[in-house]
Amino acid sequence: MSEPHDHAPIGLDLSAPAEPSVVEAVQNELALLWEQRPDLDPGVTLRFEMGLVEILGNIVEHAFDPDTPGRLLTVAVTIEGDVVRGTLSDNGQPVAVDLSTVTMPDEDAESGRGLALAVAALDELSYTRDGDCNRWILRCGGAGS
Amino acid sequence: MIEFDVSTDAQGIGIVVPRGRLTMVSAPELRQILSDLVAQGTVRIVVDLAETTFMDSSGLGALIAGLKSARQGGGDLRIARPTEAVTAVLKLTNLDKVLRPRESVESAFYV
Repeated sequence: MSEPHDHAPIGLDLSAPAEPSVVEAVQNELALLWEQRPDLDPGVTLRFEMGLVEILGNIVEHAFDPDTPGRLLTVAVTIEGDVVRGTLSDNGQPVAVDLSTVTMPDEDAESGRGLALAVAALDELSYTRDGDCNRWILRCGGAGS
Repeated sequence: MIEFDVSTDAQGIGIVVPRGRLTMVSAPELRQILSDLVAQGTVRIVVDLAETTFMDSSGLGALIAGLKSARQGGGDLRIARPTEAVTAVLKLTNLDKVLRPRESVESAFYV
């Protein structure tokens, strides 16, 4: 294990079926990762985790036809210096989204806040369709944060 | 994982305590608990968030659904003692006015 202060890059990689339980698994792994870097700004780690959980939720809910087998999701998180980055990939349907136009719904809405919350929480969020895969890139901390 | 404590105090106020992470994994259960309370006539509800270590947009959605049904029943839903993680989500979603955090469970309906 790396020393807390040497700032050697650390990270996690996880591949799992795209089901709600993946959220719990990723958060358990993230908690272990945060423990290795207690020097990180807790605001950065919290905002990253908020953004990541929202994108995960979005993938689990929207990117797949419920009857489609082989729903796979991969999550990669790295911490280098004070920057936390994440890449989420899935083999689901393409996502029609323009992140620059995502807005928070009305106060009494019971859903639809996920992407707006992710945009607000993260310092960088992008989505690309890469072949048969959806790819989300997330960042918190570092330049431009 | 998460656990929910559900009780009713001497004034008939329902108290729900989610212990753990409130995400899409657990939000449906909270939604059901709040809906059941209102259906049983407990329309004043306090959700004590002191042990809710994390909340996502589906957890928020469950609280908003509970708030709406409690108000439709002539009552209200209030939140108390949110953790930093919960407070951050309320602020980022601009819901800290609709779900205004109260300092304690006991005073949630009297301040």
